Amino acid sequence: MRRRTFLAAAAGGLVALIGAGVGVWSQVPVIPKRPNPDAETALGWIAHRDERFTLSLPRAEMGQNIATALKQIACTELGAEWNTVDVVLHATDMPRVKATVGSESVMLFAEPLAQACAALRDALAAGQVAGQVRVTPRPMAALRALRAGGLIGASPEITQGRGIVTGAPLYAADMRLPGMLFGRVLRAPASVEVPSGPLRWNLDAARAIPGFVAVIEDCGPPIGQAQGLGVVAARPGALDAIAEALGVHWSIAGPHPRSDIARVIDVDARLSTGTLPHAVLDGAPDDGPWDVDLRVDVPMAAHGPIEPRAALASWQDSALRVWAGAQDAFYVRDFLADAFGLSGEAVSVQSCRIGGAFGGKTICTVEAEAAALTLATGSPVKVQWTRAQEYALGFHRPPSSHRIRARVAQGRITDWDHAQMSSHILFTAAVVPSWMQRGTDIFAGDGGVARGMVAPYVLGRARAAYDMVRLPVHAGPWRGLGAGPNALAIESAIDEAARVAGVDPLAFRLAHVADPLLTAVLERVGEIAAWGRPLASVEGLRLGRGVGCGTYKVTSHAAAVADVSVDSRGRVRVTRLWCVHDCGLVINPDQVRAQCEGNLIWSLGMVLTDDLPTAAGHVTAQSFADAPIPRMTDVPAIIVDLIQSDRPPQGAGETAIVAGPGAIANAIRAATGQRLVRFPVRTEDLAT
Amino acid sequence: MSFNLNGQSHDIPPDWADEPLLFLLREHFALTGAKFGCGVGICGACTIIIDGLPARACITRAGDVDGLSVRTIEGLAERDALHPVQQAWLDFGVPQCGYCQAGQIMAAVALLVQVPDLSDDDIDVAMDGNLCRCGTYPRIRAAIMSAAERV
Repeated sequence: MRRRTFLAAAAGGLVALIGAGVGVWSQVPVIPKRPNPDAETALGWIAHRDERFTLSLPRAEMGQNIATALKQIACTELGAEWNTVDVVLHATDMPRVKATVGSESVMLFAEPLAQACAALRDALAAGQVAGQVRVTPRPMAALRALRAGGLIGASPEITQGRGIVTGAPLYAADMRLPGMLFGRVLRAPASVEVPSGPLRWNLDAARAIPGFVAVIEDCGPPIGQAQGLGVVAARPGALDAIAEALGVHWSIAGPHPRSDIARVIDVDARLSTGTLPHAVLDGAPDDGPWDVDLRVDVPMAAHGPIEPRAALASWQDSALRVWAGAQDAFYVRDFLADAFGLSGEAVSVQSCRIGGAFGGKTICTVEAEAAALTLATGSPVKVQWTRAQEYALGFHRPPSSHRIRARVAQGRITDWDHAQMSSHILFTAAVVPSWMQRGTDIFAGDGGVARGMVAPYVLGRARAAYDMVRLPVHAGPWRGLGAGPNALAIESAIDEAARVAGVDPLAFRLAHVADPLLTAVLERVGEIAAWGRPLASVEGLRLGRGVGCGTYKVTSHAAAVADVSVDSRGRVRVTRLWCVHDCGLVINPDQVRAQCEGNLIWSLGMVLTDDLPTAAGHVTAQSFADAPIPRMTDVPAIIVDLIQSDRPPQGAGETAIVAGPGAIANAIRAATGQRLVRFPVRTEDLAT
Repeated sequence: MSFNLNGQSHDIPPDWADEPLLFLLREHFALTGAKFGCGVGICGACTIIIDGLPARACITRAGDVDGLSVRTIEGLAERDALHPVQQAWLDFGVPQCGYCQAGQIMAAVALLVQVPDLSDDDIDVAMDGNLCRCGTYPRIRAAIMSAAERV
């Protein structure tokens, strides 16, 4: 608690320093602003005109189908028919809303929206038809939309669903303007954290390519320290040929001093130099031998959305207009205004449906490229990253290396020690300039790395601490932040501790859980999976069952059971998954289930597929072949059970990823006797 | 050069003949349902149907559909009446982000024409090349099985 208070104070001090430091203006980053919504702001989200309502969605729509859930809340509170409420995605002409991150969209936005809708309903009932409405917040119990019944707890057809299945233009890359050109900004094949830029190129060869329009040297801010060279063409397919014809030679001030990522992330090497500076549990385990002592390594992983990020920009009448698929349109606007020396009013950003984000589309990159090429050519320019650019220039889940130990006596864990080495997730190079990084590294730690490091168990004398190192490849938020890898390490160690104790792993967890809500999901998943029933044997296959559980951001809970089969060549199939999930009041059960299913398939990916190859400090993956994601044939039948709850709604977008990976890894342990400590699984580790 | 696009004959402009078919559809004909996902035919987001067979528009040269018949997701519904596969996608709440779904739907439509009496294995074999990062695979399976009964 004291650490958290200190963290806030330190952050405040740094902000004050920025404001006072006139001389450092050019280095001051544009930092995403994160105001929590209130009912007054929410009035800007809902409007009534000519018997119809318009809900300006205050969140980015990226597949969590929040448009549907918030429309359910609006309709319920307004007492409006479903087809009288139109949902539009927001642009930056409405009051700022915080980035769509952290599974907060129902948790933080449901009540303000309901308050605003209640006020609007009362105003309409009183005969008001124009002007502003005042919100007098009412008690939660007086809101119709925050209790089950009617549309709350129902699953209407998803908003924009019809557009998706008919191919309507919904995404940034689908936007079109007359006279539109197509752009790309080329960057050096090197670490984004060493200075690089174009040295020379073959302009004549590029000009000979049909569709060539221009090469643009002034192509916007660097990504990391990688300056680009812009290319514009009349048709998108010409860009590959132009890039090849240019044959750009790059200046690269490399290599990066920490190019050997595996070595600098090695937790044991780091521990040999001293204790880790950032403690999340500060108990003092007794000295002596450990009963469980695991080294768990989780690699770098890409988000892998099927949509490579895209933007369309236009410059007309001294106004920059951008269509973007970003998790924070307001941050994109602020970034663009700063980068191009424009006032905030001169820049507007229209949110488009995002084709998968998972934390990876929180920064401003492709939007600045499109803006720069538009400003240079005077024509609207669309830019969509190639798949290889997504890997090379985006940020990724950092690798993490865990040393995790437990001591067991009389069936209980008495001592626990979890040390983690990783890279930054929140205080990344994208938001903290290099001169400020040292301060945040020493004082603030990184809540993203720490997320989920406090195990949801009573563990006796428990210590948990971490450190970070800045990498040549950009890291950042990835679904669940640190919670997925931390839970995978923790759930692996808990399972080994249960074996040492000679206690059934589900019973062992129940004996160590203090939170009754977590107990409830664990007990329930045991029931629906018929835990304890012997598995049928299959000739030639090793079969196993495992359990995992966890809590995400204190208030959401999940437990999972996995069945796996492993053949003699070490190939793993997950054959069945069960999950029980408690996120408080459920607005849309079908879409909460969809989030659970997605998290479980991401869990499967964490154990079986996710790995982003790097060499010499830069990403080498070019396509999905190099950074595979789960496929149809990898995925089993999934059974999800939602706890009926009248707690206020909590997050659902990242919770099950704390339960699924452990369940799958523990099932493989049960099937093969092998404790996986390097992810993703390699067949040679499990072959007989 | 000309081709049949969703039932109507269209010229292929010479400028566009060497472009990937995907960009001809998206940027010349404004049919943006098929999506760019990888550009090398791995992810399936650009899946369309050429003369009855599923194909990757991102690795098909536009000029190579001269004389052929191309069906995109925009050509599935008949006015307001959705194709059974589209309706099943809505009934099962399949889309999360939705970006891959036009390709998934077109692959499923082609599958149902080729193999009307489906098994789970048929679906896995036919759909394994269409990637979805959100994890909608179990619902895709269920929606195809349901659509198979309605086609």
